[in-house]
Amino acid sequence: MFKVMLKKEILQIISSNKFAISFAVCSILILLTFFVGANSYLLSRDQYEAAVQENIRGMDGITDWRMINHRIFLPPQPLAALVNGISNDIGRNINMEGMGELRAHDSKYNEDPIYAAFRFLDLNFIFQIILSLFAVLLLYNAINGEKELGTLRLTFSNSVSRSQYILSKIVGSFSAIIIPLLIPIAIGFILLPLMGVPMTSTDWISLLGIIFSGVLYFSVFLTLSIFISASTAKSSTSFLVLLIVWIASVIVIPRASILISGRLVDVPSVDEINSKKSHYMRQISGETLSAMGNFKPTSNNDIMREFNEFMDEINTERDEKVTKFNSQVNQERRNAQMEQEKLALNLSRVSPASSFYLISSSFAGTSMELEKNYHEQAKAYQKVFADFQREKEGMTTGGGMMFIVRKAGVEENPIDPSELPEFVFKPPSLESRINSALPDLGILFVYNFIFFLVGYVKFLKFDLR
Amino acid sequence: MDSNIENNNKKPILEAINLSKRYEDNALALDNVSFTIHPGEIFAMLGGNGAGKTTTINLFLNLIEPTSGDCKIDGVSCVSKPLEAKKKVAYVSENVMLYPDFTAMQNLDFFIKLGGRMNLSKDEYKSVLKRVGLQEDAFNKKLKGFSKGMRQKCGIAISILKDAPAILLDEPTSGLDPKAGAEFVNLLKELKKEGKAILMSTHDIFRAKDVADTIGIMNKGQLVMKKKQSEIHNEDLEQLYIKYMAGYMENAA
Repeated sequence: MFKVMLKKEILQIISSNKFAISFAVCSILILLTFFVGANSYLLSRDQYEAAVQENIRGMDGITDWRMINHRIFLPPQPLAALVNGISNDIGRNINMEGMGELRAHDSKYNEDPIYAAFRFLDLNFIFQIILSLFAVLLLYNAINGEKELGTLRLTFSNSVSRSQYILSKIVGSFSAIIIPLLIPIAIGFILLPLMGVPMTSTDWISLLGIIFSGVLYFSVFLTLSIFISASTAKSSTSFLVLLIVWIASVIVIPRASILISGRLVDVPSVDEINSKKSHYMRQISGETLSAMGNFKPTSNNDIMREFNEFMDEINTERDEKVTKFNSQVNQERRNAQMEQEKLALNLSRVSPASSFYLISSSFAGTSMELEKNYHEQAKAYQKVFADFQREKEGMTTGGGMMFIVRKAGVEENPIDPSELPEFVFKPPSLESRINSALPDLGILFVYNFIFFLVGYVKFLKFDLR
Repeated sequence: MDSNIENNNKKPILEAINLSKRYEDNALALDNVSFTIHPGEIFAMLGGNGAGKTTTINLFLNLIEPTSGDCKIDGVSCVSKPLEAKKKVAYVSENVMLYPDFTAMQNLDFFIKLGGRMNLSKDEYKSVLKRVGLQEDAFNKKLKGFSKGMRQKCGIAISILKDAPAILLDEPTSGLDPKAGAEFVNLLKELKKEGKAILMSTHDIFRAKDVADTIGIMNKGQLVMKKKQSEIHNEDLEQLYIKYMAGYMENAA
């Protein structure tokens, strides 16, 4: 009997015009996401490679490693094109100096503000907005609609148990909607290597994780729709209730949680922090200038070399102080920011849409951790770069005043850019992606379980007349 | 031999035993109703809106539970063994609504299988659809374009194909045109000949008199009159109906 009802449920959904239209729209959007995402990745990769080459070319003819204008770049990741996360919001380029604070600039949205206004089409958008709405539109009348139609009475005039009916409803709806949608997703999977996107095994597993969490998220709205439909007598009422819940979950709660946490936890602004840093910098510059007065050359032969060594010592000391101060104020801001973020994330998790966003961006490596990871790796590279400069030239750049002395008549050899240590960005490991996604995956499981259970119990008491 | 005497020797298929139903708002929808319907017998329940006719059918279908009493289908209690009891009954509602995006054949296939008959062939579906008078070109058309009469024919086809010993009809002729109504009556007579026990709730006094073996009049949840057709053969049923309804109201007053 369960099989008969399951078959009917699937047939009922896939033979409706509502499904045909929704399926066509979703399939086009999914395929477009993969196609545009792959293209966007390939374009970004070309731009990245060109920028790296340009950086190396800019070193042509330079004879001193302290004279180079070295920049490092965040390489594009294949999955970032499919789940943007914050990848387009953060700066991708960093001017590298051996000392001092590192600042990333030139984000994608900064380069093309039009994208910031309308955002890119990605899997997150498809699942978070389109598919959840699709679930609501197809299933808002799953139970009460059958009562209004009169088919519920006719069904229950047969030897059908309520448990079998509601289970077939849930399993049938899920199968009827999700299985067809796996077709454009599978085509999208094939499209990636065909278009030349180099996917690693971590990328493939992460992509599967994104699709799995998308299905789980979709299933939350499916079970919610069935629960609301079994709790209301009229389909117009369940539609209205679901629309309100959808708007609250997808649009209001994620934004409101940020606003609320912003009110509850005070985070000093970047301007405040910069002003503090500038103030300290002015103070420390005065000390540096005074210290410069203490320079006493021991001989007249190599006075500039002695001065540079003297200054490197002062600069290193000054950089240590500035770095310490900056790190302290940055850390204070970061701590407040983390507290605010933590509160905002915890509040937003009331909405399954937020949980799904956090899971998919974690799997794609485009979560809020991306900026931190990039900065930390750039910071580690800065040390390698500073050591390299010291090894080559005896001092590093970024500390402040320095004199580069050229001996008259001595021809200096140009530097060899291939000696420059390479900056290799390491995307998060699969293990760390899974670990970041696990709590929110758990939340989606809990939502599914709760809505399934209350929907099931509600239907056991549903008035079948 | 008189069919009533013959029936008395047979086991009843549909039995209402002191059936009462009081809803949560304390309204008494059914008050101690008892009747039996034997194989090959049609029992027509007459009564106004809210008289308790649909409540009686709902109790047989276990869509609601009785406050007291019991109802049985072929000896199986609808209260304690509803799934078992419902295997033995087919149901046609006042306004048959099937799945509008399914064809007549797809609707039949689903509800027949739901009724437990898994191995019927498409030809058997078609022959019953023909028997109930549905035009052949409509068999594979979606239900959303069907008239009420056509949907009703599909509903009856489902109940015939289920081949249950009992049939419950909830105002089956309401809204049908005279031709469709007459066809329906003929079909009922055929089902009766096949030995089905039929409980029919209706407002249609004339068709009830034409087809029913027993006529019951219900008012405010009570079965205020129950007579064999032979007892009312020469009576004006309309007058009888008005008399019983009025008499009951006076008594109630």
